[in-house]
This record gives sequence, C-alpha cells and structure tokens, in this order.
Amino acid sequence: MRTYETAEEALESPEYNEALTELLFQLADDDFLLAYRGSEWLGLAPHIEEDVAFSSINQDMMGHATLYYKRLEELGEGKADDLSHLRSPEKFRNAVLLELPNGTGNYLEKPNYDWAFAVVRNYFYTLAKKIKLESLKTSSYVPLQHTARKVLMEVNYHLMHWETWFNQLIQSTEEAHKRMKNAIDQVWEEFMGVLSTGDKGDVMARSGIIEDEETIKKRWISKVESVFTQSGLHLKEKPQMKSGNGRNGEHTPTLESALDTLSEVYRKAPAQGW
Amino acid sequence: MSDMSGSDFYQEFEVFSKKKDTSPMQYQFSLLAPNHELALVMAKENFFRREPVADIWVVKRSDIRKLTQTEREGLKKLDKDYRETKGYGYLKKKWRQYEQEQFTEADIMGGGKS
Amino acid sequence: MRADVLFEDMTEEEKYEHFMDRIDAGEKIEADDWMPEDYRESLIRLIAMHGISEIMGALPEKEWVPKAPTLHRKLAIMAKVQDEMGHGQLLLRVAEDLMAPLGKNRENIMQDLFSGRLKFHNVFHMKAPTWGDAGIIAWLVDGAAIISQTMMLTTSYGPYGRALKRICAEEVFHAQHGESIILAMAEGNEEQRQMLQDSLNRWWTALLMFFGPKSKENTGSSHQDKNIRYKLRTKTNEELRQEFLTKYVPRIWALGLTIPDETLHFDEEEKLWKYRDPDWNEFKQIVTGNGPQSKERLELRRDSYENTRWVREALSSQKKAAI
Repeated sequence: MRTYETAEEALESPEYNEALTELLFQLADDDFLLAYRGSEWLGLAPHIEEDVAFSSINQDMMGHATLYYKRLEELGEGKADDLSHLRSPEKFRNAVLLELPNGTGNYLEKPNYDWAFAVVRNYFYTLAKKIKLESLKTSSYVPLQHTARKVLMEVNYHLMHWETWFNQLIQSTEEAHKRMKNAIDQVWEEFMGVLSTGDKGDVMARSGIIEDEETIKKRWISKVESVFTQSGLHLKEKPQMKSGNGRNGEHTPTLESALDTLSEVYRKAPAQGW
Repeated sequence: MSDMSGSDFYQEFEVFSKKKDTSPMQYQFSLLAPNHELALVMAKENFFRREPVADIWVVKRSDIRKLTQTEREGLKKLDKDYRETKGYGYLKKKWRQYEQEQFTEADIMGGGKS
Repeated sequence: MRADVLFEDMTEEEKYEHFMDRIDAGEKIEADDWMPEDYRESLIRLIAMHGISEIMGALPEKEWVPKAPTLHRKLAIMAKVQDEMGHGQLLLRVAEDLMAPLGKNRENIMQDLFSGRLKFHNVFHMKAPTWGDAGIIAWLVDGAAIISQTMMLTTSYGPYGRALKRICAEEVFHAQHGESIILAMAEGNEEQRQMLQDSLNRWWTALLMFFGPKSKENTGSSHQDKNIRYKLRTKTNEELRQEFLTKYVPRIWALGLTIPDETLHFDEEEKLWKYRDPDWNEFKQIVTGNGPQSKERLELRRDSYENTRWVREALSSQKKAAI
C-alpha cells in the first residue's frame, strides 16, 4: 500500500486527502468535545484529589485535539483556532455521544452532573481511542503515525484512571451499581457513533489511513465483553446510534450550545491576538 | 466520625516517588483516598503534573509506625569523632613528615573506579 | 530547656517553654509535635482559610475555562485552575492533620464552609463577568497571593512551609499566564482594551482589601501579633499591601491603564503609597458571605458536593461489598 510522507503528497491525491481530512476532523472533534465536557466538571468532581487528576486528562485530550487540528492546518484546512472555534455545528465530525451534556443544568448554574455517566463515557471512549490509535500506528499517512504514537503515551494513564473508577463503582453499593448501569445504558444508545468512521470510512480503509470500521468495532466489543464478564454484567445487543451519525454531520442541539460557549470570546475578534 | 456519611472515604495515604530509575525513593506529600488503587491513580496528577517521575508508591498512613516526640528528641546525641573523618585531621601533617601525601577520599575509594 | 528531662515527663509549662525555645531557635514544628492550643488554633484558622480559598478561588476562573479564546488559552487556564485545586489539596491536607486530634476531617471542613463558619478570601466573592476578569485575576489576584505566600515560606510550621514551597514553584507559571493574557488585550483592539480597563475598575478595591485591614482599629480583632510572635508570618498586612503597590502600580500605568483612585500616589517623604482606604465594613460584609457572588459560588460548591455524595459513600470501606 502506498504511504504518504508529507501533507504535500497527500494533497496531490484529492480522494485520499478528502478521506484523510475527514478522519482528522473525527479524531480532533472527538477529543475537543469530550475535553470540553470534562472541563465543565472542573471544581465539581466528587473529590478534590480527583478533580486534579480528571483535569489532567481533559488537558491531555484538548492537547490531542490540538495536535490533530495542526495536522489539518498543514493540509490547508485553515488555522487550528479557527477550525476549533468558528466551524458551524454541521461541519463537526465528533460522535454525538461526546457532545452530550454531563447531566442537567449548566456548568455555571445548578449543574446536576452525573459522575457515573462521566466514568462510563470516558472509560468506553478511551478504550475505543486506544484501539484506533494502535491502528493509526501503521497508517498510510506517516505524519499521523507520529501523532498517534505521541498520543498513545498519554492514553495509558487515562485508561488506568477510568478503569479503576469503573471497576470500583460497579462493584460497590447497590445505589452505585444502579447508577452505573443506567450510565452504561445511556452510553450504549450512542456508542456506535464513536466506532463509526462515517461515509468516507471505506475510502479510509482502502487507502490504509485506518483499518475498517468492522475490525475496530469487533476489537472494542470483545474488550468490553471481557470487562462486562469481570463485573458480572451482560452484553446485550450491539451499541446503537440513536441520535444520528456525527461523522456525517448529524448532531443534537446540544452541540450548538456547546460551540457557542466554546467560541464566545474568540468570535468577538478572531483576527486579534488573545 | 464514622457515623458521618461518606467520611470513611477520606483515608490518609503517604506518597513517595523517585525521579529517575537511579534516584532513591523520596517522600512527597499526603492525600486522601478510599483505597490504595485510587490513591495511586490520583497521586500521579496531584504531585507530578510537571516534573518527571519514574516510580510512585502509596502507603497507608496507619501502617507507618512513627517516632514519638520523646523518641525523636532522643535522637540528638553527642559528637562521635572516632567514627567520623573529622577526628583524623592530624593525619595529613603526620604523612608529610614521611614525605607522603595523605590519601584523598578518591584515592581510598580508588578500587571502585571503572 | 531542660535536657535532662524526657519530653514526656515535662510539665505543661516546661513543654511550652521548650516549644518557644524551638520557635526562637528557628526550628520547624511538625504535625505530631506538642504545640500550645492557640498555636494549633491559629494554624487551623490560617491554613484552612487559605486552602478553602484556593478551592473557592478556582470557581471564578473556572467560569472562563470553556470560553477561553484559543486552544492555547484553553489549555493554559485549565492547567492554572487545576493548580489552584491542587494547592487547595495541599493546604487542606496540612489543615486536616492539625484538626485530626480534634476529631475532625475534610467532611467537617466542607460543612464549615457551607455553614459559613469557614471563610474564604474576599476576592473570590466577586463576579467575573468578562474574559478581562480572567486576565486580572491571574495577573493581579495571583500577584497579591504570591506576595503573601512567599512571606510565609519561612513559617515555623514545617508542613505549611513545605506546601507553600510547592505552591510558590507553580505561581511563576500563573503570573506569566496572567501577564500574557493582559498584554494581549492591552495590545489588542479598542474593545479588548476597554474590557481590560473595566476589569481593573471592578477589581481594584478588592485587591486592596485582599491584604486585610491595616490594624486592629479597622476590624476590632486581628491575629497579626500572635502570628508574628509564633513566626507564622513575618510582615504586617500593610507592609504586604505596600509591596504589592510598589510591584504593580508602575506596570499598570505603563500599560496606559487607569487605576480607579485619583488619590493614589507615592509619598516620597514617607516612602509609602497613599491610597483611598477601602470601606472595611464592606470587606466584613463580603467575607461573611454577603459579597456580590458569595451565595452563588457557595451553592455551586455545596450542590456539587451533595450531588456526588453517593460516590464517596459507595467507596467508603464500611459500605463496600454491599452487593
């Protein structure tokens, strides 16, 4: 399979470039939105020590998003800050699951946030993220291989962190168990969106940018199956994608309000230094 | 305090770490966690956000037997120059009488040179 | 000090004398050491307030974390607010160890905060309505905090000194983060400059208040003298405020900003800054929980603590394995 060493090489092949930018937006927007949701938790986590640990993970993810946006910048898609702050919601390629709010309320007022949802969403997402990154280590786009290797270094800690929380809460009190099961159900309804690579997935797989969707899904499901077995849970049917496929630009209204918050200041004067 | 709901969550752990593989373990600080696993997960980002770290240990504080103040004050002792090099300062002059230089620490430890 | 008597055989007076000898000799007191009750009380008051102020201080800046203008600013302010939480963690641990012999722990600290018994710094009761406030907080509120924290690095209480050492090491990053934000705005367009000036106007009085009243006459009570005798601190409130003014006023002016106090000037004869004294009754109102944003911030903290109570209960050892 042909490899592409630089952005210039990728740009010479329009079909390749289109699939590549599509995937980069998926990777960037996933981390960007979940890091944003995590940053809303800042100061509100169940425990001060955990607040500090959680924030590191959110910073790491925001940093990973930045690395992908920079790759897009190299491909002529625009400035990283513009890409993250000025695109309209339908241009975003994140999975719907990652844009959903942390609970009811707002981060400034009456946030009724659900820690079980935070643990399950982050844990399952990190499992999928790691599987994708492992696949990207041999991507036909060489600059993406380098990015994947860098990101992987930090993901192992994230995984250890969320795995510990998941295992401990699911095996604790009845109330915690119930809350965790509810969170799993919630996450399950949308998780297929995280595993999807969207309409351009076939081209991505064919040109070796990332492995095909089915392979990645299988790996994730088999991993989650063993997690469930350990915790005495049952894997029901496959995860779903109830609110649409974010990879194809389908989103809930919560994305729009998230983007309004994220870009409130930048939009005032994008050309200025901040 | 055990009747206060949730307060059993707050167990004290002491955190130790080493900077490099070759460094000795060093005490860092303490944190509250419900158990060892979470203590470890949280220790990393609470105390090593910027500096490099090669290993981390967490120890439950209640497992540490510390000295009491009386015992600590009992650690102070008189100088014992017979077990320190400073008790042998006169040797330099002695060797000079034999037209020899006194071995430096490096000379004495010379066997360890690689 | 009587070297011939074992410490545990000393009378209370001898222990006190021994303790004061150690203070005077510049020794550091550790958590398990004998200490007079008023030394313990002073430390708990000082450090618990310092610690909880860091936790509450994360909230006004946190409002701007998701809204920070660029990817770089988002990362930097997240790291900065995280550090504040981390500083709170360090300081609360120090306070908790002092409270342990009294049968208290973090749960009590939180409940004291919610009931209003435990106060936090006046600056964190203020509203932060624009991104300019995020800049002013990081530059000047942190600048003021650095001045009072470095003063206490030499404190006689060992664990507090060690926590402060860790904290001060990170403050350099915070100061530069703040400088970077306000410089970008000062060099920006008219709207950005105005935003910055408005923030300075909003925060100036609170910044002067931050160091506390000049003397007892202003408040009716002050722990300054005792804290100096026990070598918990080495400078008075006013000395710290003067340091702050010397350090920052020339810079604020250099940026072309106006300080909202036309009486402010440096008196060459007295070698002191003259300024319009803040209304100390208002200060009292603010720190007792009646500031412009006190109720909302406390509510946010209380609600999130209660919302997540199930997590702490689930992992309490006596409740574990209930299923």
